[in-house]
Amino acid sequence: MSVASPGERAELDRLLLLSGRGDQKAFAELYKRSSAMLFGVCLRMLRDRGEAEEVLQETYTSVWRYAASFDAAKAGAITWLVTLSRNKAIDRLRQRRVQAPADPGALEEVLDERPTPAADAQSSQEYERLARCMDQLEPQHRRAVREAFFTGATYNELAVRTHVPLGTMKSWIRRSLMQLRTCLES
Amino acid sequence: MSASGDNEQPELRFAEYVLGVLDADERAAVAHEAETRAEAAIALQAWQRRLMPLAEPIAALAPAPYVWARICDALQMNASGRIAPRRNLWNDLRLWRSLGVGALAMSLVLAFVLMMPLAARRTRPGNRIEYMAATLQQTDGVAEWTATMDLRHARMVVVPATPAPAPSGRAAELWLIPAGEKPVAVGMIALDRPTTIALNSALMARLGPTAMLAVSLEPAGGSPTGEPSGPVVAKGAIGAA
Repeated sequence: MSVASPGERAELDRLLLLSGRGDQKAFAELYKRSSAMLFGVCLRMLRDRGEAEEVLQETYTSVWRYAASFDAAKAGAITWLVTLSRNKAIDRLRQRRVQAPADPGALEEVLDERPTPAADAQSSQEYERLARCMDQLEPQHRRAVREAFFTGATYNELAVRTHVPLGTMKSWIRRSLMQLRTCLES
Repeated sequence: MSASGDNEQPELRFAEYVLGVLDADERAAVAHEAETRAEAAIALQAWQRRLMPLAEPIAALAPAPYVWARICDALQMNASGRIAPRRNLWNDLRLWRSLGVGALAMSLVLAFVLMMPLAARRTRPGNRIEYMAATLQQTDGVAEWTATMDLRHARMVVVPATPAPAPSGRAAELWLIPAGEKPVAVGMIALDRPTTIALNSALMARLGPTAMLAVSLEPAGGSPTGEPSGPVVAKGAIGAA
């Protein structure tokens, strides 16, 4: 995502607020500035261009319809938009009749999402804080959390993919989530 | 199935929901909780703020131009981002909206759109119908409300497409119109936020694909006659969701 600069974030907040008041030009501008980011998220989770396009469409029709519920005091536009697109993508994943066959080693393949140092300069404070907390997790647990976030897989699917018992996967992720919360609040 | 099942810390369910590891039923349960309990919605939002930055390094990729065209089509906008002028009563809605709607009144809507999984509104294959839905439109086809009927819990959620404050002294009343029968009052609905209405057995028995839902503008408090007395501003057929 190339929208980490505070100025761009503020602009997205403004455009989303205006969209909530029925300003269609603002909505078009919001789409222009945020759709590549959300399409990246959808594609990453669904790994299918056609489905990602459909989910992106559902996402923005919901953005327009519910933009009035956006409250910048609670979360920024980016959080609001990414949450909405991920929820739509996860709904779509859960509707797939047959889960895509487990890809052996998929967990190992998860890209290291830490950006390059050049891109680091672009990333937000929130991201930097979260990344530092992620770095404190056990490597295996960190990979499981990333895999979960980026693929929208259920506990079950994660356990199958990584060849660990379901209970183990649950405890890895739950422990990680609590550790992250503690770390972020410290 | 309960999402709380083997969780000792209730907080975890919200984290798991946001991370995306719950199955469809568990997601629906958490979404329902966030819909009905403010603390749950707040906990969910806190986890969204904590975890969403993870998405930041995902490579952006511009979608094909036809995606925007489809969105405009679905929203009945033209692609330059302008909407065809609305000619009737709801024109006034735009004016009302420009007066501003409190963000507080809107916060519930956030819970609905973010938490309600699409899957929960779909009919499960092989099961009896659990959900029905209706899009209530003006005569020119512009959607004004979406009504989702949850048959298992005997309730209906009516969500305004473009939340707006009500004109003073007027209120919107929802009616169920079974084929060939007189309208039956369902309840008053808000113009500025979702309304949840419990459905009694008489209403439940009349829901179905031959019935319609309609909204009329009535004096505050509802129609004095028990039948629609004001203008019908939107209507739509009920179908399986």
